[in-house]
Amino acid sequence: MSAPAATEVALRIENIGMRFGGLWALSEVSFEVQRGSVVGLIGPNGSGKTTLMNVISGVYKPTTGEVTYAGKRIADVPTHEVCHLGIARTFQVVKPFASLTVRENVAVGAMYGRSGGKRSTRASFERAQELLEIVGLSRVADRPASDLTIPDRKRLEVAKALALDPDVLLLDEVMAGLNATEVDEALELLRDVNRRGVTLIVVEHLMKAIVSISTTIVVLAEGKKIAQGAPVAVLASPQVIEAYLGSRWVKRQEALKQIEAEREHAARVQPPDARP
Amino acid sequence: MTRPSTVATLRRIGLGGITGSPVAFAVVLVLMALLLAVPFAHNGYVETTFRYILMYATMAYGWNMIGGYTGYVSFGQVAFFGIGAYCSAVLSTMKIDNLFADVALACVVAAAFAILIGLAVLQLKGHYFAIATLGVGLAVTDIVSNLDALGGTGGMNISQVDEAHFSVYYYAMWLVALGAILATYFIARSKLGYAFVAIRENEEAAAVLGINPRRYKIAAWAISATMAGAAGAVFAAANGHLEPSIAFSPDSNIFPIVMALLGGIGTVAGPFIGAVILAGVNELLQRYFVNVHTLFFGAVIVLVVLLLPRGLVWLFGLRGGARAWLKSLTVNKA
Repeated sequence: MSAPAATEVALRIENIGMRFGGLWALSEVSFEVQRGSVVGLIGPNGSGKTTLMNVISGVYKPTTGEVTYAGKRIADVPTHEVCHLGIARTFQVVKPFASLTVRENVAVGAMYGRSGGKRSTRASFERAQELLEIVGLSRVADRPASDLTIPDRKRLEVAKALALDPDVLLLDEVMAGLNATEVDEALELLRDVNRRGVTLIVVEHLMKAIVSISTTIVVLAEGKKIAQGAPVAVLASPQVIEAYLGSRWVKRQEALKQIEAEREHAARVQPPDARP
Repeated sequence: MTRPSTVATLRRIGLGGITGSPVAFAVVLVLMALLLAVPFAHNGYVETTFRYILMYATMAYGWNMIGGYTGYVSFGQVAFFGIGAYCSAVLSTMKIDNLFADVALACVVAAAFAILIGLAVLQLKGHYFAIATLGVGLAVTDIVSNLDALGGTGGMNISQVDEAHFSVYYYAMWLVALGAILATYFIARSKLGYAFVAIRENEEAAAVLGINPRRYKIAAWAISATMAGAAGAVFAAANGHLEPSIAFSPDSNIFPIVMALLGGIGTVAGPFIGAVILAGVNELLQRYFVNVHTLFFGAVIVLVVLLLPRGLVWLFGLRGGARAWLKSLTVNKA
């Protein structure tokens, strides 16, 4: 896959609203995902990140608005066809096939994913082995998936999603529970995947990780998009800080700033040499 | 550890993984070869007994495809068996007495019926599916009982070969059973088998990986119906007479399930091993304890579920003897 032009829109998310009973988990969320980019999706707990992932991957049909990929409305595509369009995802709550081995789990994706029709059973197992080496699971390839630790299950989710040969990969908290070294490894893996032309949408709580990998960050709070842009600019925005740390924190910061300013002012009026 | 290379070797010859224990599969093939010799005993009783064992084994393979590999527990397989049986009877009234024709028609009609019913019934899951299939079995029995064209409750007669060539029915059943075993073996090592198992393990996750659950569930059910139908076709021809209570007997519904459970569901060897053991023991009990032999079946179901939830074939792959077995029981309970 060659790197496509940066201006090409891969995924269009328009005015998405998602209602569960009386609760709007998402409302009026719109943004575009450029092909080849890495979009970080952040927000406090309960802000609707996973719901949005479910809408984009076609698991939920949105109440309002639509997600379009390559001119197709995702809501019209049955779940088992979404990966054939080129969209793959991982689940925050991992879903391995417990009685199959780790290799078989990944091979099933290789058999039925986008390029699955062209792959023999043997080729699918070979592809699975490659992917297990990439995500660092080849040492447990022949163990049943139910034996895996949580971080390894996350790796397995990534390998299964990659086995579908996606153009767009949605990653829902794949780094949760990893230690610092493992996070660095995971980031390296994701960068590598992205370099091969795969567009990434990443939900993650680890701010450091998301800032270092994303080209764009979208911030959700209470189901609404409150900011979008380059990572550093977005994180400096008062709205985002307020969403994460609360309005009282922002007020206190403002109060502190004011005190600081008053002190400075006072210092100017009363020069330091007045002190003993 | 030499394990990876062992696994690789087994995979090269197509065993391990979801095909189950290679030792158990070898045992099955050896037993099947030995069963070819049964007619040389020139003992009608022995031949009939083993023909029944092969018949139940075939049906157990049928049940295993939908209940074992795909995880949809069906209590309606007897409908396909009976439909297959009536295919033979109908062909006989048309003066077509050819076992190949019987089996071919039975396979086609049973599979077509499974696809038709499956479009509706396979929308259900778990207990609801099980209950619906039970209903399908009962409904088909009642419909056939009330069809005058099929002889109603009185049934139909099927013309048979003369006594000297009676073993042809035994060999036909043997071939049908071999077909079921080999079909299961080749499906279990193919993409199709992995689609079935993925659906069993987690249907939603299977769909996310590009598997159309509905299509593959219907495929699994059609394959299972084909096996049951083929067994029914040969059974009817060998029996010479067919009526609803024979074609749709509860025994033909429950035995295969218990056999698959005992041998190990979702394995290639399990149904055959379960059928040989259970049908054999049942035959002996029936001879000596006519009135209580059905009690035995109840006891087997309870014991298998409690002590051997993964079936006998699983023991072939178990390392560590009795201690490992006991440990697995406590793990399962936890």
